[in-house]
Amino acid sequence: MVNDLKQLLRDNVADAPTDHLDVASLVDAGRRRVRVRRTGAVGGTAVLVAGVVAVAALGGAPGGADHTAAATHPPAPDAPTITLADAQRAVEGRDYDVLTSYTNKNLDRDNGQYLDGVTDDGLILFRDGPRDGNEWQAHYALMNSATGAKDWLPDPGVGQMQTWPVVLGADRLVLLGYDEGDGDGMEATLVAYVFDRTTRDWSTMSWPNLLAVDFGTGDVGPDGRLYVTTPATQGKIPEGGWPTRPGGDAEDADAEGDTHHLWSISLTDPTDVRDEQLTLGALAFTDDAMVWTDSSNGAAGQVHVRSLSTGEETSFDPQTGERCNLLSFGASGDRIVMSQYCGTYSHGVRDDRVQILSTDGDQVVTLQDSGIDGGLADGSEVVKVTSYGGKRGARSGTYVYDLVTDRFLRVSDGVSSWGLGGPTSTATEFMWDTPVNRRHGATQWIGELTR
Amino acid sequence: MDRRQADADFSEFAAAAHGRLRNTAYLLCGDWERAADHVQEGLIRVYVAWPRLVRRGGELAYARKAVVSAFLDASRKRSSTERPSEPDTERPSGEDVARHVSDRAALMAALARLPQRQRACVVLRYFEDLDVRETAVVLRCSEGTVKSQTSRALASLRSMFESASRDELAVIGEGNLPW
Repeated sequence: MVNDLKQLLRDNVADAPTDHLDVASLVDAGRRRVRVRRTGAVGGTAVLVAGVVAVAALGGAPGGADHTAAATHPPAPDAPTITLADAQRAVEGRDYDVLTSYTNKNLDRDNGQYLDGVTDDGLILFRDGPRDGNEWQAHYALMNSATGAKDWLPDPGVGQMQTWPVVLGADRLVLLGYDEGDGDGMEATLVAYVFDRTTRDWSTMSWPNLLAVDFGTGDVGPDGRLYVTTPATQGKIPEGGWPTRPGGDAEDADAEGDTHHLWSISLTDPTDVRDEQLTLGALAFTDDAMVWTDSSNGAAGQVHVRSLSTGEETSFDPQTGERCNLLSFGASGDRIVMSQYCGTYSHGVRDDRVQILSTDGDQVVTLQDSGIDGGLADGSEVVKVTSYGGKRGARSGTYVYDLVTDRFLRVSDGVSSWGLGGPTSTATEFMWDTPVNRRHGATQWIGELTR
Repeated sequence: MDRRQADADFSEFAAAAHGRLRNTAYLLCGDWERAADHVQEGLIRVYVAWPRLVRRGGELAYARKAVVSAFLDASRKRSSTERPSEPDTERPSGEDVARHVSDRAALMAALARLPQRQRACVVLRYFEDLDVRETAVVLRCSEGTVKSQTSRALASLRSMFESASRDELAVIGEGNLPW
């Protein structure tokens, strides 16, 4: 007798259990995905965290039990350590001021209107859609945060393409779009939509000599060039797959990291594409330094700091935990921020960390808790930390860590299900969102830390 | 295209393709519930790309690719992946029920022990009947990689069958060559 592989494969699915596909829910989820993929970039080449995805990913293990790693409790970082419990309750008017807010009551029903960022001259980039009510064409306005008055801009021709604002200047706006073509969403052809605020004209820009870039990447350096990456290597999955915890979930802490090739391009000359001859993991800029890791989305490797004025380069071991995967990366002044996932332990307790170091490699502080992530927007001095719940959601909310004063504050008691936000204009501004209408909608807030 | 019409078209496509995609996902992950999750994730990706797909065609190929990507992504991303669970053997079969069910179960168990991409090669080549080039497109790798991964996978599967003292495993009609 011979077993036919093809026949055995067919036989194994011949009596599939019945399954009802809820198409309406699928369409709703698809609409939400169109929205959440529009999330603002946080922290340079950081992982783009979409709210809905993040809530699911960090919400703790179902059942909250039955999970064991090699040890039962997360190990203590080799650094000064704080937890969410160390945060002080922020008081509006004393610790921060709300500049503006906007509420979408029901984002499950249709796409909405969003605060996409703050321009250098203090106006809000306001986006409408794309949604059912506006022919699924995204429209933009510049909004006065004090009066709410909107100056609607001409149609940029973006349609439904996902775009990210990377320049919100007083003279021009630059939105990056990623045309995925037939790909799977990991790489895309870059296109920029440029709005000249003087002539009030939109133009598009593309770079024929640029390869398909990693989806969602794009970091404007202090030299005004846009830094993007293309895939280099992807961390290998262990032979036989990831080890599994008793509940069936895989444990992919201590993963091998991914690497990328770095390119820089001019935002005014489409022929100006430069291979930076550098392979890296994550990238960030301060005003006078370029900072990167060897790899990301897994082990971080070394951190490298290059002076933009002298070209001098230093490297150091950031002393991340042995099992930590680098998920986002940012830098400001003489501080580096690394958000990491370091494993899941007994009762579904996650070892999530937001590690803050100096550019000399000194450990400043590490926030360690379960179900958190953190990020530092370009040019910001405020680390935004999101907690997705903990037990009974008691610790859910947005927290901020001020890199200048080392204050750690809890700003809100909940986070919405939506990935919202964008770049801000000053180092002390930050954006957060809270749920409304039984989590069907969200309120976006733009605030400024008081010092 | 009007969005409502696009949603209606997508819904029709999703309903029609769901069963086939679910079977593929099951062979990849070995669990029907997780297969449903991968298909849902894949179809959401299809929804996002739908306006472009409708213009260019190839909806099913994209959906298949999206489901496989969802499976591979789940194996890569933190806290969202599982190694395939033990196969479900409680299904009727032909004349020699015990033997046949056992052969099927043995294949699922053997598949579960393969690295994910090797498993994907086997499923795409011998269940979806994709050729080497098409498989390479789905897995975003070279044709040479597909050949070597498939070859290793078949060797492993045969070895596992042999170790379990089961009848020889072969690909009927292909001279036992993966391409």
